[in-house]
Amino acid sequence: MHLTRRLLLSVPAVLLPLPALAAEPILAGVSGPLTGPNAQYGAQWKRGFDLALDEINGAGGVTGRPIAYVFEDSQADPRQSITIAQKFVSDSRIIMELGDFASPASMAASPIYQRAKLTQFGFTNSHPDFTKGGDYMWSNSPSQADEQPQLAAFAVQKLGVQRPGVLFLNTDWGRASKDVFVKAATDDGAKVVGTEGYLPTDQDFRPALVRLRDAKPDALILLSYYADAALIARQARDVGLKQVIVASSSIYSPKFLELAGPAANGVFTMAEFFPTEQRPEVQRFVAAYRAKYQQDPDTFSAIAYDTMILFAALSRQYGPTREGIHDGLLHIKDVPSVLYGKVTFDPVTRRAQAASYKFLLVKDNVFTIWDGVKPALPAL
Amino acid sequence: MGSWFDYTVNGLIIGNIYALLAVGLALIFGVSHLINFAQGSIYTVGAYIGWTCVTYLHTPLPVTMLIVLVGCALLGIAIERIGLRPLAGAARIAPLLATIGIGLVLDQALQLIYTPDPRALPDPLPGWRLQIGGGTIGAMDLLIAAIGLVSAVVLFVFLRYTKLGWAVRATALDRDAARQMGVDTDAVNRTVFAIAGALGGLSGLMVGMYYNHIDTAMSFQATLKGVVAQVIGGMGSVPGAILGSLLLGLIESWGVALFGSSYRNLFAFALLLLILVLRPNGMFAASRQTPPEPLTGTFIAPSRAIRVPPWLVVALTLLAAVLPLIMNSPYALQTLTNAWLYAILALSLTLVAGTVGQVSLGHAGLLAIGAYASALLALDLHVSVWLAVPTAGVITAILGTALIFPAFRLRGHYVSIATLGVGEIVGLVILNWESLTRGPIGLTAIPPLPFDSVEGAYWISLVLLVALALLQVRLVRSHLGRTFRAIRDDDVAARAYGISLNRYKGLAFAVGGFAAGISGAVTAHLYSYINYETFTSQISILALTMVILGGLGNILGAIVGAVALIGLPELFRATAEWRMLIYGITLLLLIRFRPQGLLGTV
Repeated sequence: MHLTRRLLLSVPAVLLPLPALAAEPILAGVSGPLTGPNAQYGAQWKRGFDLALDEINGAGGVTGRPIAYVFEDSQADPRQSITIAQKFVSDSRIIMELGDFASPASMAASPIYQRAKLTQFGFTNSHPDFTKGGDYMWSNSPSQADEQPQLAAFAVQKLGVQRPGVLFLNTDWGRASKDVFVKAATDDGAKVVGTEGYLPTDQDFRPALVRLRDAKPDALILLSYYADAALIARQARDVGLKQVIVASSSIYSPKFLELAGPAANGVFTMAEFFPTEQRPEVQRFVAAYRAKYQQDPDTFSAIAYDTMILFAALSRQYGPTREGIHDGLLHIKDVPSVLYGKVTFDPVTRRAQAASYKFLLVKDNVFTIWDGVKPALPAL
Repeated sequence: MGSWFDYTVNGLIIGNIYALLAVGLALIFGVSHLINFAQGSIYTVGAYIGWTCVTYLHTPLPVTMLIVLVGCALLGIAIERIGLRPLAGAARIAPLLATIGIGLVLDQALQLIYTPDPRALPDPLPGWRLQIGGGTIGAMDLLIAAIGLVSAVVLFVFLRYTKLGWAVRATALDRDAARQMGVDTDAVNRTVFAIAGALGGLSGLMVGMYYNHIDTAMSFQATLKGVVAQVIGGMGSVPGAILGSLLLGLIESWGVALFGSSYRNLFAFALLLLILVLRPNGMFAASRQTPPEPLTGTFIAPSRAIRVPPWLVVALTLLAAVLPLIMNSPYALQTLTNAWLYAILALSLTLVAGTVGQVSLGHAGLLAIGAYASALLALDLHVSVWLAVPTAGVITAILGTALIFPAFRLRGHYVSIATLGVGEIVGLVILNWESLTRGPIGLTAIPPLPFDSVEGAYWISLVLLVALALLQVRLVRSHLGRTFRAIRDDDVAARAYGISLNRYKGLAFAVGGFAAGISGAVTAHLYSYINYETFTSQISILALTMVILGGLGNILGAIVGAVALIGLPELFRATAEWRMLIYGITLLLLIRFRPQGLLGTV
């Protein structure tokens, strides 16, 4: 056992992306899934991070020092995210922590970061209580309290949905989304006729869809990730549901089109950014992403990219120290962002301001900006 | 009402898919009495072989199917040859652990080759749909049903009318007798693994095409559903596996119809428990069939345990106690805190699995009960953490024993599967009992442990571990320990001597439940946030791996196993994406060279 301990300490901890500049890099610690069931999201993060690093370090880094990150694999498992947290807080080179992916892993590590006064930036943590863990917990993840009312307004006011039936991923994220959506849709004058929560491991949605069908909705609302949404869209047509589908922005990914195939056509969704947008942040990001990875970006890689850009901006303006990052988040304004245009944080909620959304429709298996034409809804 | 017809059709469609998974498992279980946890991984490999053929070679469907069949049959043979045959003389539990290790290695290798991104696997069949009731079925549904039926018929003919098939059946009935009669049992094993591998791979391909979705994390769910389906149908019975799968699909679909999607698996596992308790031979077994092989006695082979000198144990414990004073590494201390907490869980499992012989696969459920009990006591009733943790231990002891009680009449693998079901049910009840557990949102702001620091958590876990370990040492050395081992080694003889099996099993689960509950409770206060996903069934498998690796029933072994399995992934951290693969290979090597566990079974 003694040997094990000594070995534990001697393991070289860091896997650095090659620094382009000679000076000591400014380090962020990333805690996220590289293996295990959520590894696909960790892979998307890396693409976003690396793209941002190309841009930042290609332009000379921050005050002559390159930006870099240490990615520790947590498998989105709280047992591992807390050991990673200890590792990061005792490594004085790390001045900001990014992640983890899911709430159980992120929030288990929060007390450790809070005690050590190292900022934990949970950029995919929309759990309503995440930033309540302490004044070192921040997030630029679009809050469901902001997104879902906009989805409801899109469905009810713009598309004319009167009787939505909701399918949601029964995790903390999906459940919080559903609660906000149902309330917002009701306030907008619609009647939610049914809600069905499914487990992250579910692949067969036919019974749930029949159950919703019997509630006679005029549209299906999906609060899902892209892989589940693709399965649901395919199976909805198989059980004879012809209603329009309106899905949350989390399905905005080329993978959704690939996995859903022809069933993706006619699906409405929304997104914080869209490749044809004229905003310079979006243009730069999408062009660089396509050039580097030969595919279109999704929300996960975009928010990872934004987060790394924010990290560089904080280091540049408020100094590459832990205090600098934490104080900087209180004061920083209008950081260029793919998701938000310009991002600013509310010092009380420690979250970003509400994003604005583009409304999308899938046509011929590509996402297009919705042309404003209302779909034909079944008369009831 | 028309919808019931639709629910029934949907249930049959999904049951159809489970059937493909269950048949391979049933075949292997019938011959080797082994739950092959690698079957789900073969299924995933099959899907990826198919994807590679379709994407790069543009093969037509029959050719793709043929390549997948051959490839996965070879994989099955390789698994049998490399992973299992070397363990033929070892304890029965070692091959089980080997299949877990092989599954892990296969999954991780796929993830490295293909990246973890999900992929589309479009089916090339014509797109017509047949209207049935309110819904439709397509060519793929019919093809899957046809494959299920054809494979069952082919297997039936093979087992009944060919010489090799007779050999397979003879081996399944009595391996030693078959060998004496000149049956080459190695060839039989190879054949069985080849057939099961081929079927598993084919089902991966078919299911991948059905959903137009494959990913590298789909193995575990596939194994889980397959195991449940084949237990319902009767373990080891091929026709039973098909019927059991259809029944499972129907129950799930009707369950959703009545109560909604989040109750789906609750129904599946409740059905599993009901069948295990009422008809342990499966729904379709003749009631007068002889009971399945007891598996006790042979399940855990005695071996000579390594005697660790007491002074060394004392010295190591003292070293562990002063470690925070001499070493300034919060990271290492946190890792060891995790190891101590898992060691407490492993103590609990080594008692019930090793000493009493009730191999539990549901220990994560006990952790969850302890964690929620302590967190809710502290949050809702404002009980101090000092009091909440031991109370949670008591609650877990009572609740856990009560939940597992129906499984006391079962033996061998059936206990494992019943406890697996109980563990899943606990998680699903936590998800659905929102008024108490706050459902998927989970419990936030759980009060921290006393002395809110990494050293504090370290010492608290260490003290609890040492205390519980000493208690358990005392227990297994007393007359109770002898009674426990008597039940493990031969429950019929034990009963003949007037030992009340249920009472002693109850006692063991109560003591084990207490320890597991304490471990879960401390974890909850350490994490400050828990929800139903915090304690997954993967943790049950991990705990069992620790216990088998340390040596079943071996108290020190359980601690060594926990330190090893918590420490190794941390040691391999520098290898990033490769670390779980290296971990899996290490695990396989350890089983290969120490099948009786590092410190030996007791």
